[in-house]
Amino acid sequence: MKRLKIIWLIGISLFLLTGCWDRRETNDLWVVTGVGLDQTEDGEIEVTVEIHSPNSDGGEGMGGESSQVGGNKMIHQTGKGISIPKAIEDLDTQLPREILWSHTKAIVINKALAETGIREELDFLIRHPEPRLRSYVFISEGSAKDIMALLPPLERSSSEVLIELAKSEVLMKVTLFDLMEMLKGESDAAILPMVDKLPPEEGEQPLETNAYINQSAILKNGKMVGSIDDRLTRGVLWFRDEIKEATVTVQPENADGLISMNLIKGTTKLIPEIDGNQLKMTVQIETIDDVIQNKTNWDLNEIEKQRILEKELAEAIETRLTDTLEIVQKEMKADIIEFGEEFRRKHPEQWKGIKKDWEERFPSVEVTFDIEAKILRTGQGNVPW
Amino acid sequence: MIEKGKISASQMSVMMYHAIIATGILFIPKTVFDAAQQDIWISPLWAFPLGLLSVYIAYKLHKLYPDDTIMQYSEHILGVFFGKVIGFILLLLLYTSISVMVWQYGEFVVSEFLPHTPKYVVIGMMILLCAFAVHGGLEVIGRLSEMVFPVFFLLFLVIVVLLLPDIEIKRMLPVMENGIMPSVKGSLALYTWFAQFGIIYFFFPYLTNREKGMKWGGISVLAVTITLVLTNIIVILVFGRVTGNFTAPLMSAARYISIAEFLSHLEAIVMAIWIAGTFIKICVFYYALVLGTAQWFNLSNYRSLVLPTGFLIGVFAIQAFLNSAEASEHFHEVSHGLTDTLVYGLIIPMFLLSIAYIRKMKIFKQKGREKK
Repeated sequence: MKRLKIIWLIGISLFLLTGCWDRRETNDLWVVTGVGLDQTEDGEIEVTVEIHSPNSDGGEGMGGESSQVGGNKMIHQTGKGISIPKAIEDLDTQLPREILWSHTKAIVINKALAETGIREELDFLIRHPEPRLRSYVFISEGSAKDIMALLPPLERSSSEVLIELAKSEVLMKVTLFDLMEMLKGESDAAILPMVDKLPPEEGEQPLETNAYINQSAILKNGKMVGSIDDRLTRGVLWFRDEIKEATVTVQPENADGLISMNLIKGTTKLIPEIDGNQLKMTVQIETIDDVIQNKTNWDLNEIEKQRILEKELAEAIETRLTDTLEIVQKEMKADIIEFGEEFRRKHPEQWKGIKKDWEERFPSVEVTFDIEAKILRTGQGNVPW
Repeated sequence: MIEKGKISASQMSVMMYHAIIATGILFIPKTVFDAAQQDIWISPLWAFPLGLLSVYIAYKLHKLYPDDTIMQYSEHILGVFFGKVIGFILLLLLYTSISVMVWQYGEFVVSEFLPHTPKYVVIGMMILLCAFAVHGGLEVIGRLSEMVFPVFFLLFLVIVVLLLPDIEIKRMLPVMENGIMPSVKGSLALYTWFAQFGIIYFFFPYLTNREKGMKWGGISVLAVTITLVLTNIIVILVFGRVTGNFTAPLMSAARYISIAEFLSHLEAIVMAIWIAGTFIKICVFYYALVLGTAQWFNLSNYRSLVLPTGFLIGVFAIQAFLNSAEASEHFHEVSHGLTDTLVYGLIIPMFLLSIAYIRKMKIFKQKGREKK
């Protein structure tokens, strides 16, 4: 009797512990690494997926454009429909295998779609249990499909290039989560990196080129309202305390050439102040730089010269930031530099009154700079002139 | 007594810890966030006294009737008829409450992990497993929870530590932006969980060291509060104002973990601790229901009731809600409107206790009169 019981138990476990209902074998899956979302001219949504085929004989003759780069196969496929899920359904009919979304690392949205609003599209990406909050989001100048279809010379796939670009943090790096946080913020403005294709080298196939980030898109209420170039983007990065890479070149007074400096460390603190009806913001910046090129005949080891250089550096940063404010604060009126958040954190009581008409009051915020620049090293060698 | 087994007070404490926290760590952050915003970590502190009160009242009743559970002393206090009525209401509330827990478990597993597995399989297996444990009796459940606890807590800490690189203090600021009220309002939702401490009245009579019952009950409430504060702090520091967008923020946070690019996709850890915890939670409530039912019918053995009760729970859990909208309607109406857990965890015991005191005073007065 007891033995029978044990056999029963083992039998039941054998059947139930396999978890076969939700099994997913790798050779039944297609792993999506990048997604492109396009709005076509007739208002439909196009979803382009970049699939990294796990085995080389998987995608043969499936109708997708496939390419052989370094033994890996990238497949691009596009589905069309009135909404993302519809487009994905269309996509499913074209693909013989189940799509695995959980490795999606790059999401590219084209400009037309961004201009009509991305909030609704984000909803899909967040509701879906698979896409990761860490995927990087980009806006493409042209169609996202074209960006996805590129065959970069060095990297495995186009989405790989995009991921590396974002990670290098030269310009904006925005993950899906960052985007959500920005869209949920007090000011309802967001900034996203914009990608475009590099013109291909002469003699190369038109598709054999990289995508690159050259500007940033500004969104208000989830809709794209404009873009700023790389110089201003770095200004925004300064304000957001996200600056990682920056090179400043100055020509000091009474010097006969240019001196370039590279950022080692930069930290920004925003100190909001409310003076009656006037909102004030002090931008406190501390930065440490290294000299990387000296075209003058200055001896940079003189303390006197270093002082001058430090002053020049601070001024150069200030000019950049003022230029940024000119566009972002005065023209676009988009609070992507998170002044609103700072006011809310420091002055929660007054903020309640300000919040309603923040959009009108944001451009009138008085900004003062307090920049402390230090030059740490002047390089290993010193060319004697 | 129906139950021959005995557990120690510390075992009871661990059991109650799981019974509250298991579903709590997943769903509390979001539920509280709706009211408390970035102050969600303060809310458990406001709910703490209520949990303590539930335990205290159950303990007071236990002092009056040391060998009885609530099913028995309600008859002593109110007389057989009204005692049975109160007992019936209690069982009914307990029954719906546990069915909803099972539903929640099934729904979550199916929606997050096994989308193609039929829900009745997920639910059925859990109930079958719990039925085994409940059939084993109180001692088995007590020891199981002791075994699960270190695993649960360790994995929980692992998740918290791995999330540390992603935290940003400024997401928590400003503390108490709109004063104290939002966090208090947030704690209202927590009462649903903390009132469940009341079912401790089913376990007090079976302690080996009864005098320590209150102490360990209190420790359990404290441990739950601390765990919830920790959960809420980590969730708010990682997700900030986006917290409200996730049904189970801790789950999404675990998903968000990415250390050096290879240590990622860790949601399975959360799932593991959650399933282990939920198993204990369901066992505890299931056991209370079975024991209560047996005592209500004055049966000499509760084990024959285990399978039928499990079947009923399963059926109800599968049939309970057709979709998530209906479920959220239920939570809104029953859990927050009618506050069913508050009724069986706090209001009924409180009512019984006050009646018991009034009757006692009468008896003393009568005795005093007789002496004259």
